Amino acid sequence: MIRLLWVMTLLLPLYASAFEEVYGFNNEQQRQLFKELTEELRCPKCQNQNIADSDALVAQDLKRKVYQLVLEGKDKTQVIDYMRVRYGDFVYYQPPINFATLFLWLVPVVFIIGSVGMVVWRRRNAATELDTALIAKAEKLLNNDKTQENNP
Amino acid sequence: MKRVGLFLLPLGLFLFIVVFLLQGLFSDPREIESSLLEQPVPEFRLPDVMDASIEYGPEVFEGELTLLNVWGTWCVTCAIELPFLTELRQQGVRIVGLYYEQNMDPDFGGKSLPQIRADIDRTLSQLGNPYVFNIFDESRDTSMDFGVTGAPETFLIDRQGKVRLHHVGDLNERVWQAKFLPLYQELSQ
Repeated sequence: MIRLLWVMTLLLPLYASAFEEVYGFNNEQQRQLFKELTEELRCPKCQNQNIADSDALVAQDLKRKVYQLVLEGKDKTQVIDYMRVRYGDFVYYQPPINFATLFLWLVPVVFIIGSVGMVVWRRRNAATELDTALIAKAEKLLNNDKTQENNP
Repeated sequence: MKRVGLFLLPLGLFLFIVVFLLQGLFSDPREIESSLLEQPVPEFRLPDVMDASIEYGPEVFEGELTLLNVWGTWCVTCAIELPFLTELRQQGVRIVGLYYEQNMDPDFGGKSLPQIRADIDRTLSQLGNPYVFNIFDESRDTSMDFGVTGAPETFLIDRQGKVRLHHVGDLNERVWQAKFLPLYQELSQ
């Protein structure tokens, strides 16, 4: 009995893959587009999942809507815009550049420029510090020599 | 001077990060601003859930300040907010229901319309009926047009039929006082 249960458990993944393809497409491009879109659209209910991964009701609905729109021959930006109008920028994993998101792009640039500037600045300062120290040392030696010359 | 700078820079950075992360602790990631705010309600034409011969459209919001409450008998949180919503109705707030059934979905197995009506009757007689009427969004297309992510959700719609507020989650005394009431009073004048 237990052995039979084990065998049935092992067969479960087969069932799962058998239910996977419920959407039929006219051509391979549409299938690809649908796949791409469901992977890049974000489920509004479950936050950190795309709608391809999510089983939430709203994700099912979005998937069905994406399927419908793809079959109608809409292209990628049209489908994304359709979703954006309803669920905001949140629904797409590629945020647009606007005032609220600008710092996402600016912070790394500012950081790189800042750190390069810092390195340059420190190197220049260190070099002059070294120079003054060396000069002082050299002058001391020179003075020593002079006094030695004067008092042989 | 240089010493002070070396001390202040990391301290400032540290404080900035602390404040940034601290506010992240108290922010609600479900709070997504609705793109419908200040926009007229989307076009729809849907039947009453109890009587398919009655049809509703966006004109039901014209001239009256309305709460549109998205719900279903299958939704546990909706059952929790029903008594409070009924209280609001008794205070004179007009509440319209946008009903959808997840069991109508082929993915979840079917549920017949008489069964749904019986469930609604039972739920509302037990917990109170806050609704003037219920719009039946069978295909959930209108919910999608409203940007609904689940149930319960509540919209405040003004007399011109514009969406003024969108709340995700249950509507309780606290949310009503803090989020809805100020705007509601302003709009009802």
